[in-house]
Amino acid sequence: MKSRHALIALGLVAMMAAVVVSPARAQEPVATPSPVASEAQGAANAGPMQAAEAEAKKDFVMPHVLNSHEIVIPWLGHGLEKEIELPRWAPIHVGPLTLDLSPTRHVVMLLLSAAIGALVLVVAGRGAEKARREGRPTKGFAGAIEATILYLRNDIILPNVGHHGEKYVPFCLTAFFMILFANLLGLVPYMATATGNIAVTSTLAGIAFIAIEVAGMRALGKRYVNTIVYWPHDLPLAVKAPITFIMTPVEILSKFTKPFALAMRLFANMTAGHIAVLSLLGMIFTFAQLLNYSPAAYGAAVIPVALTTVIMCLEVFVAFLQAFIFMLLTAVFIGQIRESAH
Amino acid sequence: MPFQTLTRSAFFVALAPALALAQEHGAEPKPGLLTSDGGLMFWSLIVFIALFFILSKFAFGPITQAVRAREDALTQAIEDARKDREAAAKLLADHQARIEAARDEAQKVIVEGRATAEAMKASMLDDTHKQQQDLLDRARRDIDAERVVAIAELRREAVGLAIAAAGRVIEHNLDDAQNRKLVEQYLATIQ
Repeated sequence: MKSRHALIALGLVAMMAAVVVSPARAQEPVATPSPVASEAQGAANAGPMQAAEAEAKKDFVMPHVLNSHEIVIPWLGHGLEKEIELPRWAPIHVGPLTLDLSPTRHVVMLLLSAAIGALVLVVAGRGAEKARREGRPTKGFAGAIEATILYLRNDIILPNVGHHGEKYVPFCLTAFFMILFANLLGLVPYMATATGNIAVTSTLAGIAFIAIEVAGMRALGKRYVNTIVYWPHDLPLAVKAPITFIMTPVEILSKFTKPFALAMRLFANMTAGHIAVLSLLGMIFTFAQLLNYSPAAYGAAVIPVALTTVIMCLEVFVAFLQAFIFMLLTAVFIGQIRESAH
Repeated sequence: MPFQTLTRSAFFVALAPALALAQEHGAEPKPGLLTSDGGLMFWSLIVFIALFFILSKFAFGPITQAVRAREDALTQAIEDARKDREAAAKLLADHQARIEAARDEAQKVIVEGRATAEAMKASMLDDTHKQQQDLLDRARRDIDAERVVAIAELRREAVGLAIAAAGRVIEHNLDDAQNRKLVEQYLATIQ
């Protein structure tokens, strides 16, 4: 039964990959770099040299990766896309702080991915509950999600978090699914990767940091202080004092490097993947320029498209991998600080 | 418990965008890859907390519960199977013991039957012997009685014969002069 669920889960992943990759490829030559392409075509009539100059100055990679106040939706018009300006709200002042809560592109993506994730998992949860009420094993989609959650819970989170770690399971799973759905949504055409924004990943890492420290406080009690102030018990005071003096900053630093690495890893992986894809797509236009927009340029575009497809497949894997790593390392860090009691 | 963790963490996390915003105050900076964004941080936090509660309540909870219920059912089934097997083994042993007992019983019955038959045979033989003996005894007694009777008869016959013979003898001796004299004497007394 378990293996069957694993197979379904694998099928789901493959389906997601297919869904994500195929429209991405279809859209490539037109949608993403459309401002450039249309400009280039417009300029092509005037002369190849001027077009090249105009194109060279246009950056279409960074605006795609960075946050903005617009979202792009599919549109059966010029460039097959339409930019929608998001509303701008007046910043909120909380004491000395100014908080601009206007929905940006990444906020919208984050909410959308969270909504999709919640929907998928709640549906699976209902399926599992129904199965339980009917006294039969969970089947189909809910079974696949159940197998995934069960695997993460029993084989990844619980062994790493340590004894009586059940209460940290929902936290780790939430981090996993939130990151996973944000990562996957970023691979869908017209969408953006919220987890490719350092603000999102650092918030997640901050939450992980708090969770780790609170787990330490709960497990160690007063001895939690020892995770900040290094104080070896089995050494004479004369040795202990300088060691403590040297090691305490290291201990404190190591507390912050862990979540910092979490934030940077996720952000860098997601951003790098997108930059790689966009750079490969940019090669279409570089070839077009080099071949003077002749029909051969269309033929040459096959190579970047093929490469992009491969990278996109890799990106789907990375989307799962990074979500998994974030969750795994959070579990490991929670386990570490809880273990340091013994 | 994790809810407590989160409420505590909310305070700390709120500090993070504060630091970020401190730099951002004033003119809107040109966004870069590493530009911090307080609004987005706030939204991330909200989304995470919302997801945490929704998923814990409606997804992880029921799924874990379903799995646990199934595990319990499985454990129960295994336990039941073990109990059933034990009961079956007990039953089998019981039956075997019963069969063994029945076989013993049968053996006993056969042995008893044989003994009874033996005894019966012996007693019948005894009876026959006794009857035979009785018959013999009776025959012997009859023979004895007959002999006594026969002897008595013989004796009587012999007496008769003897008397007859004696009569003959007497009759023959009647001419004797002495006898005549005797009779005449006798007759003389009568007169």
